[in-house]
Amino acid sequence: MSLEPNFTTDGGDWVCARCNVPLEQIKVQALYMHSAFDVFLPRCPSCGLTLIPRTLAEGKMAEVEALLEDK
Amino acid sequence: MLEQSQLHAIEARCTQEAAPRCRTSCPLDMDVRAFLEHLAADRPREGRKLLERHLPLPAVLTAVCDHPCENACLRRDLGGSLAVSALERYCMKAVPEQSRPLIRPPKGQKLAVLGAGLAGLTAAFDISHKGFAVTLFHENTREDALLAAFPSLDRALPEAELKALEKFHVSFVSASLDEALLERCTEEYSAVFVDASCCAFAPSREETESATLLWRGNICCGGWESLTPTGAHFASASAQAGEGRKAGITLQRIMTGVSLVASREGEERKDRLHTPLDGVQPEARVLPAGESYTAEEARREASRCIRCACMQCVKECPFLQKYKEFPRVYARKLYNNASVVRGTRTANVIMNGCALCGQCEAICPEHFSMADLCLHSRRDAVERDVMPVSAHEFALEDMAQASGPEASFFVEDPALAAQGGHGATMFFPGCQLAASRGEQVLAMYRFLREKLPGGVSLHSSCCGIPAHWAGREALFASHAETLRTVWEQAGRPEILTACSSCMTALSLALPEASVVSLWEKLDNMLTGPISCSAPDVMNVQDPCGARHNEAWRNAVRSLAAKAGIRVEEARRTGEESACCGYGGLVWNAQPDVADAMAEKRAGEFSHPVLTSCIMCHDRFAEKSESLHLFDILPPTAGKAVTSTPPGLSARRAGRMALKEAALEEFLGIRPEHRHDEEPILLRIPDEVRQNMEKRYILRQDVVTAIAGIEESGAKFLNRENGHFLGSWRPRNVTFWVEYTVDDDGGFTLVNAWCHRMVVPGAIQPATKVIMEERVHA
Ligand code: SF4
Ligand code: SF4
Ligand code: SF4
Ligand SMILES: [Zn+2]
Repeated sequence: MSLEPNFTTDGGDWVCARCNVPLEQIKVQALYMHSAFDVFLPRCPSCGLTLIPRTLAEGKMAEVEALLEDK
Repeated sequence: MLEQSQLHAIEARCTQEAAPRCRTSCPLDMDVRAFLEHLAADRPREGRKLLERHLPLPAVLTAVCDHPCENACLRRDLGGSLAVSALERYCMKAVPEQSRPLIRPPKGQKLAVLGAGLAGLTAAFDISHKGFAVTLFHENTREDALLAAFPSLDRALPEAELKALEKFHVSFVSASLDEALLERCTEEYSAVFVDASCCAFAPSREETESATLLWRGNICCGGWESLTPTGAHFASASAQAGEGRKAGITLQRIMTGVSLVASREGEERKDRLHTPLDGVQPEARVLPAGESYTAEEARREASRCIRCACMQCVKECPFLQKYKEFPRVYARKLYNNASVVRGTRTANVIMNGCALCGQCEAICPEHFSMADLCLHSRRDAVERDVMPVSAHEFALEDMAQASGPEASFFVEDPALAAQGGHGATMFFPGCQLAASRGEQVLAMYRFLREKLPGGVSLHSSCCGIPAHWAGREALFASHAETLRTVWEQAGRPEILTACSSCMTALSLALPEASVVSLWEKLDNMLTGPISCSAPDVMNVQDPCGARHNEAWRNAVRSLAAKAGIRVEEARRTGEESACCGYGGLVWNAQPDVADAMAEKRAGEFSHPVLTSCIMCHDRFAEKSESLHLFDILPPTAGKAVTSTPPGLSARRAGRMALKEAALEEFLGIRPEHRHDEEPILLRIPDEVRQNMEKRYILRQDVVTAIAGIEESGAKFLNRENGHFLGSWRPRNVTFWVEYTVDDDGGFTLVNAWCHRMVVPGAIQPATKVIMEERVHA
């Protein structure tokens, strides 16, 4: 039960609107029900704002959530 | 948690795994149905394997069997019983031997068999195949006894099968079958079988134990003659072989020192399977054109088998169909699931897929209740804290909204309130009618106040059924306390409800209150004909909550009749009615199942349908023409605001609107802010709104998210198209909103999605996230 490590945006040229800098793929931890997963996500290198693309939220993440709920 | 014994009692109610009549009438427990299925599917080799697995001396037995299965066959009066015996003979001829049983070196104990009749040979066959050596004593040649009993038998068949027995350590010894031999054998062998068809000294059937065929000491007996209904004696091959087999089990137990009687219930041949025959068309028996069946004739004859099975509940319920099993198996899976300490609980999806509607219990000949089982499992899962949070979260939040300050209210009858008096009746429309039909609720309330003596108060809240359905007993109990407080402050009035689920929940929550259906009351009040524009002929949907409420169902039909509607009953109506998919919160936990239920039920109507439950109405409305009683009754007809049922956001807004309107009309209170005043100007295109519904994202969530994101400035910008993207986590769900900023300062939503996992940096820093919180726990 692991998340594919690297998820980019669902397309488009996304920047942090506050810092006006392009996003970088940075390793962060996703947490749910006593479990943590390392995952690379697009993130603002300056303020740390992190983007979760829709395909990840409704795909792999939803799958892992359901699995963990049944643990 | 269920005890193992409770599970067995529940499981036993579902007889779907019980044997069909052909099999229960076969003393050798031949799986006739599976055999015929193989032949019908052109798999004669598989058919022969089954014959070899179930029958001793299969070539001999199939040649002489008196086939009691055919007398018992359920096809009997529908074109004639299956020609099981002829098909078995066909199969033995058409296909060579399929199984090669293992020949093991013989064990220490030895069996003596006196007499080579069919019973003796069966005992020798069974015991030798279990790895014991057998000495078979016979008079004349070893085939003679068989040929004497069954003169039409072709000698070549026993010759071959008796020869094959020798490989299994059966030795044939010619001897005179008398009591001296018997005495010798009882001492020299571990156990002895006496074939009554060959031994003059054998006891009568009545002198042996019927369950074990034990005569005395280590001696069993079998192989007697049978009687026809007219009293004629004959050798029944199936009965004799069956006795050889039953005695064989006893003999093996004698040899190995096991209890002779323990757990032999399986040998009792009871008809427990309920096979519905409605819709089965008669089909005449296929007779062989020549002497015996050709492959094609056999296939056609075997295809006539009805494949006796129950599955009556499964045929009706999309949930039971979804996991491809039947209640007996589900019971076991739910039990096993509850025993899991850690690891994946696969049956969580099972318990949450049931609408708790009770249809299966009403249909099942043994009244198996999946609803009881699933509700029990949910309560157990909640208690052990293993209930998946997401299964019912949205529904429970909806319940909280409907019962909270935003939407819930109580209004005393204005004419009595000033003097501190109480209405004798309290109208409790229920949270879904409030959500969907606020205007009509108010119209009905005005009507009731005008017509009912003693005054009427109005209480809008959720009845608590979602908590009950979710298995959250503590939540249900605390909600019941809140309802009780209001009811007592209202002077303990009679409660009038327009929702059958409310009726169920209120009877549980306030057992001492008198809860009456609005329809019964209206049926008494509206005595004359009702003029309305409803269709002339309609089907009626009985909500599952009214399954056991005949008064409710009669009142609905009576009101329909007064309105000039001719009610044509759909299939499965009244107590056997099917659920629209709202019940049991399955719409939340497994929307696919709920949709299949609505689809199936709507498909069973041949006319527009009249409903007495607003959720039935709203769920059918998209699929077929549907009217709620409010649409035809004079106080409320024509007062619905929209014709299409509202979505999830609109339902919440509808409750708030009802509260505002009621407080203003009856208490003169004007709200400071109206419920539809939003802090931002938000536009949501229709297809985006539909996607939000599927993801349980409310308009209010989006409004709060965008307002918060704009205030903090924590958002992303897509430089290609100018879309903004940000997130908001008001509870244990993170909402993402992608939107544009419009020229007029408003916002247009492009997309919205959500997830439950927490990713630091992906949420508003201002939002306090409580990890591992469990909503409503
Ligand atoms: S109706 Fe359903 S539960 Fe009842 S015996 Fe038949 S298959 Fe089993
Ligand atoms: S119809 Fe088929 S399954 Fe049913 S009793 Fe006859 S042979 Fe057996
Ligand atoms: S949804 Fe209704 S018919 Fe289906 S299993 Fe549950 S209680 Fe039985
Ligand atoms: Zn930034």
